[in-house]
Amino acid sequence: MGILERFAAWALLIASAGVAAAAPSAQAILAASDAIRNPDKPFALTVVLVEYRNSKQVDSNTLTVYSKADPNSGQFRSLIRFVAPARDANKLMLKNGNDLWFFDPASKASIRLSPQQRLLGQAANGDVVTVNLAKDYQAQMAAEESVLDGDRQNRRCYKLALAAVSPDVTYHHIEMWLDASNSRPVKARFYTESGQLLKTAYYRRFQPQLGVERPTETVIIDGLDPNWVTVMRYSDYAWREVPEVWLQRDYLPRFKPE
Amino acid sequence: MRALVPALILLAAMAPALADDEDAAALSLADQTAATAEQSGDWRVYAEAAVRESRRQGPGLALHGARASIDARFDKIFAPGWRAVFADRLDMNRMDGVSGNRDVNTLKEAYLSWQVQTDRVADLGRINVRNGVATGYNPTDYFRAGALRSVVSLDPASLRENRLGSGMMRGQTLWNGGSLTALYSPKLADKPSDSVFNPDLGATNLRSRWQLALSEKLTDALNPQWLLSGGAGQSAQLGLNLTALPNDATVAYLEWSGGRGSSLASQALGGREDAAFRSRLSSGLTYTTPGNVTLTAEYQYNGAGLDQAGWNALRRGPPAAYGLYRNLVANLQDPPTRDQVFLYAVWQDAVVKRLDLTAMVRHDVADHSRLQWVEARYHWTRVDIALQTQLNTGNSGSNYGALPDRRLWQVLLRYFF
Repeated sequence: MGILERFAAWALLIASAGVAAAAPSAQAILAASDAIRNPDKPFALTVVLVEYRNSKQVDSNTLTVYSKADPNSGQFRSLIRFVAPARDANKLMLKNGNDLWFFDPASKASIRLSPQQRLLGQAANGDVVTVNLAKDYQAQMAAEESVLDGDRQNRRCYKLALAAVSPDVTYHHIEMWLDASNSRPVKARFYTESGQLLKTAYYRRFQPQLGVERPTETVIIDGLDPNWVTVMRYSDYAWREVPEVWLQRDYLPRFKPE
Repeated sequence: MRALVPALILLAAMAPALADDEDAAALSLADQTAATAEQSGDWRVYAEAAVRESRRQGPGLALHGARASIDARFDKIFAPGWRAVFADRLDMNRMDGVSGNRDVNTLKEAYLSWQVQTDRVADLGRINVRNGVATGYNPTDYFRAGALRSVVSLDPASLRENRLGSGMMRGQTLWNGGSLTALYSPKLADKPSDSVFNPDLGATNLRSRWQLALSEKLTDALNPQWLLSGGAGQSAQLGLNLTALPNDATVAYLEWSGGRGSSLASQALGGREDAAFRSRLSSGLTYTTPGNVTLTAEYQYNGAGLDQAGWNALRRGPPAAYGLYRNLVANLQDPPTRDQVFLYAVWQDAVVKRLDLTAMVRHDVADHSRLQWVEARYHWTRVDIALQTQLNTGNSGSNYGALPDRRLWQVLLRYFF
C-alpha cells in the first residue's frame, strides 16, 4: 500500500468516525434528554397545574411530588401529595409503574386506580410524575429539522420516533423533538395505538435546578381540542431522601412530610 | 372527484400550519399563567348546610328538613416522630314532625402516633381502621360495627368518612413491599350513648377485639392483604383483599372474609345456636372509559344473612322480630339477605368542567327491591353545591322498600375554610 493509499484509508476512517460522532444514537439522545428533565438522585418538587378551556382558567391544583428511581428497572416511583385546593389537601397518589393507588386521609380508603383513570383533568397520572422515556421507549431518528420551540423561536432539532417497548406505558408512541445542540427536550406529540393524537407538549422555561438547566414548565395541548390547555409549572426542587418503605400502599396512611 | 384531489392536498399541506397556529395560541395563553404554589395547613375544616324533602312510602305529605354541619380534621407533626390526629363532625338536624330531631357530634378520630423509625410506628387513641378494597360492601372492614352515628348520605364514600373510629393501641412494622400490623381494641364502655357530645365509646368499644394484618408484595401485579380478626364472644375471622389489573382501564378486586360464626338471625332473635363456617364476599370490576367515567359493578354475598325463604318468612312474621333483625344488620353494616348487586358510576367533569355526577344502585336479589341514588356536584375552589336524589323501591318489608322514605331530595352547600 502506497503512502497515498494509506493516507486515503486513514482519511476515510477519520471521516467515518466524524459522521458517527455527528449522529449519535437516537437512544443515547433520548437518555441525555431524560437526564435533563430528571434529577439523578431521589428528589422532591412542587407542581402547579393550571387548566384552561377556551382561553379561560378553569382549574388549578398544587401537588408535591417525591420521586426515586427503581434500582432494578431504572424507572421512577413517585408519591404525590395534593396540596391545594383545600378539598383535596393531603390526599395521596402512589405511582409505581402501573401500580397506582389513591389514598384519602378523611376516609382512610386506599383505592387502586387503573392507568386510564385520571384524577387531574387533562393530565394523565403519568404526566405529573417523572418518567425516564429511554427505559420505556425504543427511539429511532426520524429527521433533523427546525421547529418552533415553546418560546416560538426556530430551533434545530432531532426528531425521534419513540415506540413503547411494553404495552403498560401511558402512550403507545411518541414523536419527540430534542435540541440538536444539547439534547434538551423541546416538544413532543403523544399518540394512541390507532395513531390518534392525544396531546402535544412543549418544554420550556429552562432554569438551573439541582445542578442542571431543566425545563420548569410543560405546556400540554389537547390533541382533539386545542383550546384545552394545561400548564404544569415546577418549583421547589430539592434533593430529598425517599425511603423504600414510603413507596407502597401500606405506607400511604403513614405519610406525613415534616 | 378531480376537483377534490387538489383540495385534499391543499388541506393536508395546511394542517401543520394550522397546528402551529393553535400551538402558538396555546403557548401565548400559557405565558399569562400567574399561579404560584399554594401551601396546605394542618387543619381541614368545612361547613355544610343542607335542606331536604322526603316522601314516605305510600300516600302522604312531603316532609321537610334542614341540617347544618361542621367538619374538622387536624393532622400535625408536633415533635420529631410524633403526630397528632383529630377529626370531628357536628350535625345539627331539624326535621318536620320526626323523632330524631337532634344534634349529633361524631368524634371520628383522636390519636397519637409515635414513629420510632421510618418503618416502625405505634398509635394510641380512637382510630378509624378501615379495611377492604371493595366499593359498596366491605366484609373485611371489621371495625364497621356500631361505627355509624349520624348518616348524612348513603354514598359509600360518605359512610366511610363520617363514622366513629374505635379506641385502640396499634403497632405496625413495614419493609420493602409489605407490612405487618397488630392492634388491640379493649372494652371501654357498657352501652352506647346518644347524648350529643358523648364520644360514644359504647358504640365502638362494647367488647375487646384484636386484628392482625399482613401485606406482602408477591409480584409487581399482586399484592394481597391477609387479615385475622377476633374478639370476645367471637371466633377468629380470616380476611383477604386482592386487586388485579386485567387491562389499562380495569381494576378487578376481591374481598373475602370467612370464619365460624352464628347467622345474623340467630344473633338478632336468639333461639337455636347455629354456629358454622360462614363466608362474606364482595367482588367486582371498576372500568374507566376514555372519557374518564368510572363504572363499578360489584357482587356482594353475605353467608350469615337470610336466604330468600328465611327472609320471606321473617317479613311475614311478627313485626318485632323483623325490627330486631333490621336493627342488627344496620348496626353491623351488613346486607340482610345473601346476595346483592351494586352498581356505582362516577363521571368527573361531566359535560362541563367541575361538575361531577355520581350514581349508585343497590339491588337485593332475594326480594328485588332497589335503592337508587344520584348526585350532581359542582365545585368552585372553596365551595361545593350538590343536588342529591334517592328513590327506594320494593314491596312492603323488602330490603329497600321498607326504608321510611320512598323519595328523597337534598340540596347541600359546602364551604371549605
